[in-house]
Amino acid sequence: MTRSIGRWLIIAVAATCLLGVSYRSARAGAPARDELNPSEQNLAIIVNTANPLDGLSMSELRKIFLGERSHWPNGRRITLVMMVPGQPERKALIREVCQMNESDFSRHFLHGLFTGEVFVSPKTLASPVGVRKFVFNVPGAIGYVRATDVDSSVKVLRVDGRLPDDKEYSLRIPPPAAQ
Amino acid sequence: MNTLTFPQPPEWLKMARRLLRKRALFVLPALLLNSALLCAQSASSADSAQTIQMLLQRIDRLEARVAQLEAAQPSSSAPASTVAATTPASAPAVSSSTLGAVASDLTGPQQEMESEQPGSPEERMDVSKTLLRIRGFGDINFHGDTLKGDTTSFTLGQLNLFVTSDISEKFKFLSEIVFEGGPDNIYGVFRGENNAFAVDVERYLLQYSYNDYFNVSVGRFHTAIGYYNTAYHHSTWFQTATGRPFLFQFEDRGGILPIHTVGASVSGLIPSGALGLHYVAEVGNGRASRAPLVEEPVQNVIDDQNHKAFNLALFARPEAIRGLQAGFSVYRDLLAPVGSPRIGETILAAHAIYIRPNFEWLNEAMVVRHAPLGQSHVFQTPGFYTQISKRFGAYRPYFRYQYVNAAANEPIFPDVGRQQGPSAGIRFDASESVALKLQYDYTTIRNQQAINALAMQVGFTF
Repeated sequence: MTRSIGRWLIIAVAATCLLGVSYRSARAGAPARDELNPSEQNLAIIVNTANPLDGLSMSELRKIFLGERSHWPNGRRITLVMMVPGQPERKALIREVCQMNESDFSRHFLHGLFTGEVFVSPKTLASPVGVRKFVFNVPGAIGYVRATDVDSSVKVLRVDGRLPDDKEYSLRIPPPAAQ
Repeated sequence: MNTLTFPQPPEWLKMARRLLRKRALFVLPALLLNSALLCAQSASSADSAQTIQMLLQRIDRLEARVAQLEAAQPSSSAPASTVAATTPASAPAVSSSTLGAVASDLTGPQQEMESEQPGSPEERMDVSKTLLRIRGFGDINFHGDTLKGDTTSFTLGQLNLFVTSDISEKFKFLSEIVFEGGPDNIYGVFRGENNAFAVDVERYLLQYSYNDYFNVSVGRFHTAIGYYNTAYHHSTWFQTATGRPFLFQFEDRGGILPIHTVGASVSGLIPSGALGLHYVAEVGNGRASRAPLVEEPVQNVIDDQNHKAFNLALFARPEAIRGLQAGFSVYRDLLAPVGSPRIGETILAAHAIYIRPNFEWLNEAMVVRHAPLGQSHVFQTPGFYTQISKRFGAYRPYFRYQYVNAAANEPIFPDVGRQQGPSAGIRFDASESVALKLQYDYTTIRNQQAINALAMQVGFTF
């Protein structure tokens, strides 16, 4: 009786080890999400195709999204397009570019409007399609969408010289669990 | 002679009819042939007749439908705009405030592409909607102190309606309409009833923004002396503490500075790279100086002299230290009190502040110089304050120390004297829009007993 129990225990332990090893090797062999599609989790900064700019530094981008710059170099007024609160794209932009949280960002803009330093508040849209259409329609607009949501109706800006498909691109949308 | 004419059916309706007739012409013989074959093959003539009957009924129904569409023709030929207006489902969810801006921005070749965009009809400005935006700020206080004659009271603070309007891409209107209770205190002289409310238009500005380097404002604004005055205006909710420092008290609350100016202001960036230099240049009526001094201290309508007040401010926001702002300002005016020589007024102010979401440190110092013309004596009133706070979650404890020292024979504000002391408090943000504050003040005043004060405040925005 004892011998059979011991035998079964040995079999169970061996099976568990085998299963664990095969699961780990399967995971190691499977490509990570980023490797499948590097741009899937990247945030693209988009502007109207008529905008002559091709890229911005992170510092310039921060100033624009904090309302500290209100005009493009060609004199046209900047129209900020934000997605509605709660969207992963918005969270990523506020955290990575503005280095704030949602509450601080709202307060910052309210304060800027109150003092008069911020000339116009951002436009808020519900979906990436809406953002894209708005940016397509408004020459001075700047917004953001997932890199996978970009199409030819808008222009993607380089950030610090890099496009969303580049390896060292800095604007990334973390997976939902990390937000 | 009037003739009765019927509207011609639209082209598509004619085509539908033709198709229907053609279809009947082809379908019927085919059906008959088919049914004959079926008869020959299966000899089930009863079934074939039934099928033909059903098909004929179907043709009847289709013809009836055509007739119905003909009858409905006037309403179905509605303008294309109506059709366009029924397609908002696929349009982007543009907030109402964006409509004006979008309409004004749709220029040039982009407009031609508008029809290709399902959302574009919704983005046109709706003239039936107001372009005004209103934001409110308010505060309610409970305050008690040891000053003789004062009573512990609940106090309604300022109810501030902050109204803005984007007039066009370059022009914007901004105003603060404030309802406030209690008597005015102008250089120590009280006027008005204790519990009556009054309305003040504290800011009233038309702004023109040419670019980041050149912005013009005209109207009534907060003078760019130092930092605090143009950072917090009439909202206690924005302020960490329950009130403004002595130095920046409003003119009708015993303040010593020309907080408001009616005139014009030019401001913007100075091309300076990472240094982030900004300038502000202002010209306006300055403060009232002609007796009686208990009149409105801000010269909203008529200046008491031709001389104008000037203010120039420069400050830097270096990129290397985000949140830091340091700068100075020079204000110059000529006051003309009755019964005494004119007085040259110069206000020199400097500030260094560091504000991050979780930490703030404000430091400002200034000197108000009053130089009666023809006299060698210059009255100097120095003052400063420092304020520090740090946020821990929803709580933000803070500390402030402030000082102002005016000569006893100061010609413009003889009542101020020397006031100094610390304040300590805690702010609790109960929500994103409501803040509760508890503050203790200890203030020493020259030739008077020190005052202990405790205040509770709920400040909010709505």
